[in-house]
Amino acid sequence: MGFFVTTLIFLVVGIIASLCARICCNRGPSANLLHLTLIITATVCCWMMWAIVYLSQMKPLIVPILNESE
Amino acid sequence: MGERGRGCCPPMDLMRSEPMQLLQLIIPVESAHLAVSYIGDLGLIQFKDLNAEKSPFQRTYAIQIKRCGEMARKLRFFRDQMSKVGLTPTARSATQAITSLDDLEVKLGDLEAELVEINANGEKLQRSYNELAEYKLVLQKAGEFFNSALSSAEAHHREYASNQGGESLETPLLSEQETFADPSKQVKLGFITGLVPRDKSMAFERILFRATRGNVFLKQATVDEPVIDPVSGEKVEKNVFVVFFSGERAKNKILKICEAFGANRYAFTEDLSKQSQMITEVSGRLSELQTTIDAGLVHRGNLLQAIGEQFEQWNLLVRKEKAIYHTLNMLSIDVTKKCLVAEGWSPVFATKEIQDALHRATLDSNSQVDSIFQVLHTREMPPTYFRTNKFTSAFQEIVDAYGVAKYQEANPGVFTIVTFPFLFAVMFGDWGHGICLLLATLYFIIREKKLSSQKLGDIMEMTFGGRYVIMLMALFSIYTGLIYNEFFSVPFELFAPSAYVCRDPACRDATTVGLIKARDTYPFGVDPAWHGTRSELPFLNSLKMKMSILLGVAQMNLGIILSYFNAQFFKNSLNTWFQFIPQMIFLNSLFGYLSVLIIIKWCTGSKADLYHVMIYMFLSPTDELGENELFPGQKTIQIVLLLLALVSVPWMLLPKPFLLKMQHDRHHGESYAPLPDAEESLQSEANHDSHGHEEFEFSEIFVHQLIHTIEFVLGAVSNTASYLRLWALSLAHSELSSVFYEKVLLLAWGYNNIIILIVGIIIFICATVGVLLVMETLSAFLHALRLHWVEFQNKFYEGDGYKFYPFSFALLDYEEE
Repeated sequence: MGFFVTTLIFLVVGIIASLCARICCNRGPSANLLHLTLIITATVCCWMMWAIVYLSQMKPLIVPILNESE
Repeated sequence: MGERGRGCCPPMDLMRSEPMQLLQLIIPVESAHLAVSYIGDLGLIQFKDLNAEKSPFQRTYAIQIKRCGEMARKLRFFRDQMSKVGLTPTARSATQAITSLDDLEVKLGDLEAELVEINANGEKLQRSYNELAEYKLVLQKAGEFFNSALSSAEAHHREYASNQGGESLETPLLSEQETFADPSKQVKLGFITGLVPRDKSMAFERILFRATRGNVFLKQATVDEPVIDPVSGEKVEKNVFVVFFSGERAKNKILKICEAFGANRYAFTEDLSKQSQMITEVSGRLSELQTTIDAGLVHRGNLLQAIGEQFEQWNLLVRKEKAIYHTLNMLSIDVTKKCLVAEGWSPVFATKEIQDALHRATLDSNSQVDSIFQVLHTREMPPTYFRTNKFTSAFQEIVDAYGVAKYQEANPGVFTIVTFPFLFAVMFGDWGHGICLLLATLYFIIREKKLSSQKLGDIMEMTFGGRYVIMLMALFSIYTGLIYNEFFSVPFELFAPSAYVCRDPACRDATTVGLIKARDTYPFGVDPAWHGTRSELPFLNSLKMKMSILLGVAQMNLGIILSYFNAQFFKNSLNTWFQFIPQMIFLNSLFGYLSVLIIIKWCTGSKADLYHVMIYMFLSPTDELGENELFPGQKTIQIVLLLLALVSVPWMLLPKPFLLKMQHDRHHGESYAPLPDAEESLQSEANHDSHGHEEFEFSEIFVHQLIHTIEFVLGAVSNTASYLRLWALSLAHSELSSVFYEKVLLLAWGYNNIIILIVGIIIFICATVGVLLVMETLSAFLHALRLHWVEFQNKFYEGDGYKFYPFSFALLDYEEE
C-alpha cells in the first residue's frame, strides 16, 4: 500500500472523525476546539506508532531465522 | 490580578481555569438563611472564613450548630435501632412536606423519648420472662429429683423394714423416712434450689463443700438446652441444683456463695400438689409475657418503619441546615447587627445566577432591603476551577493528584485524555487482552446509572470512577495490539501476506541464514513471520527501543511547547526568549537529532551504529565518520548542533536573572506607586505590605535559575532514557503472554486428553486474568502515570494552585459518606 498512501488514509480518517465530532457534539466554539484537539492528538499518536513500525520494516537489517523444531 | 491576555489562540475548554472573581456580598440578616440556602443549591461560591480567629464557641450561630448536632445524634440513634431490627431507610420520597427545623427538633425529641421508653420496657419484660423460664426449669428438675428421691426412699424404707438388722453399710445416710415419719425428732433440713452456670458448677460444688465442711448435700441436674440468663441476656448452659443444709449459718454461707457464682435462686415447695399448681401458673404467666413482648416488638417495629420512611429526608434536612449554619458562621456580622458580609470566590460566568439567587432570597423572605453584590479586586491567587463532565473528570483527577494547576496555567489534563491511554496501550499491546478489558469496562458504563447510586467497595469505587479512562485504555490497546500483531500472543496475517519468504523452495536455509524479504512490507503492524523465530527478540527490541525514544522526544517537545503557550498567556517574554527557545534548541539538537537519525537509518537501511555516532559526536566531533555516515554533510551538521547545544546552556542560565534584576530596579525606581483600588478585600488590608514590596534577592533568583538549568540539561538525558520503560513493559507483557500461551495452553493441547485440556484452559484463564489483565494493567497504568507526572509535566507545569471547593449541597453527600 505504500507509506504515503496509508498516511493519507490516516489523515482522511482524522478529518472524518473531526467532522463527525462537530456534527454530533456541537457545544460551542471552546468545546469544539477541545474535541478537535483531542482528535488531532489521537490521530497523530496512532499515525506515529504505525509509521514507526512500518518504517522499521521497510529495509530490514536482520531477517527472521526460524527455530530448529519448525 | 492584573491583565491576563488571551494569548495567541482562541479559548479552549479545560485548557485553563475558568476566570474567577472575588465577590463581596452584603446580605440583610433576615434573608441570610434563605440566601445561603439558595447559594448552596447553586454550588458556585467558595466562601472565605472571615471569622477565622474566633473559636467555634464564639461564633454567631454556635447554638444553632449545637442543635443540629443534637438532632444528628438522635438520627444516628434511630439508624442504629433500625439496623438492629434489620430495616433500611427507604429512598427519599418527595411526597411529604419538609418541616421546618424547629418542628423537626420537637418531633425528633418525642420520637427518641418514645423509642427509649419502648426499649426499656421491652428489656424489663424480657428479663421477667427469662426469670420465669428459669423458675419453670427449676420446678421441673427439682421436682423430678424430689420425686425420685421420695420413691427411692420408700424403696429403701421397705428394704430396711424387711432387713430388720442392725446398722450396715447400706443404711441410707439420709434418713428421710424418719424425717417424714417423725418431724419433731430430727433436725429440720433446709434446702435451696436454683440454677448455676455449667462451667462454674464444679467449683461451686467444691466451695460449698469446703465452706460448710462437708455438711451439705448437693444434687445437680443438667439442663439440655442453653438457658437465657436474665441478668446478662445471653444463652448459657446451666445446671439445676438442690442443696440441703442444716442450720442458719450454713444457710447464710450458701446464700453468699450462690451470689458470688451468679447462681439464681428460686423458691420451691416440697408439697407435691403445690408443685404442679406452680408449674401450671408459671406456664400461664410465661405465655402471657410472651404475647406482651411480641406486641411490644410489633409496636416498636411500626414506629421504626414510620421513622424509616422519613429518615432520609430528615437526615438531609439536618445536614443541609448544619452546613448552612457553618457557612453563616463564616460571614462577618456588621456593627449594626443588621447585615452580614460575605466574601468568596466564584467563577465569572456565574455572576447572573448568583444575583438571581440573592434576589429570590430577598423576595422569599419578605425583606425590605436587597442584597448588595460587588466584585473586589485583589492580588490573591484565586482557586482553580475546571468545568469537567463525567468523561473528563477522571482524567482531571489524575492530573490533580500530582498537583492542582496554578490559576490559569495550561492544564496538562487536555492532552492527558489521549496520551495517557495511548502510552498505557504501548506498554500493554495485545488486542485480545484489550477486548477483555473493553468488555469489562463496558459492563460498568452500561450499568452506570444503577451503580452510581449504590455503595460500592473501595476498589470497585475506584474502578467505577475510572471507567472512561479504562475504556480509552482498552480501545488504544486494541489498536496497539493490532500493530504489534498479538492476540493472546498469537500473530495473525490479517492485512496482507507476510513479507518474508524462504530463500529457496526447499527452505533449507530457514534455520541458519533465515528468510528473505521478497514481498511488500507488511502494511499494518509487525510482520507475523517474526513470531517464534530466533531473531524475533533482537528485531523487536531494536524496534521498541527506538519507538520509545521517538515517542518520548515527541511528548517532551509537546511539554516545552505548552510552556511557550503559558509564557504567551502570561505575557512573559522573558520566558519565551530565555527559557523556551534555548530549551527547544538543546533538546532537539541532541535528542531530536537522534530521532532524525533513527528515521534516516530506517529509510535508507544503512548499517550505521547509532550509539557510536551519538557518543563520538561528543567525544571527537571532528573525526571522520566513515561507515557510520548516514547522509552527506553529517559531520558538519553534527558540529553545528553540538555548538548550538553548548551555547543554549548559558543562554538558559545567565540572561534571565540579570534581566529580572533590571526589571525590578526599573519598577522600584519609579517614584509613583499605583493607587490601591477602592474596593479591597477585608482580609487583604492586613497583608497589603507584603504584596507591595516583593522581596528581590538576586542570589536567590540566580540559584533558582541554576537549578532549573541543571535540572533541564541533565533531565534531557535521564527523561529520554526513562521513556525506555515503554519498551521494557511491552516486552514483559508479550513474553508473559507467550509463556502462558505456549507453556500452558499448547502443552495441554498436546496431550490429547480432554481432562488435561480443561485443566489447562482453566489455568490459562486464571493466569491471564490474574497476571496479565489485573497486574499488568496496574503496572502499565502506574508507569504511564509516572511518565506523565514527571517526564511530561516537569517541562511546563507548576501545579501549586488550590482547587475550587464551592459550598454546595450536592457535595455534602461525598463529605459525609
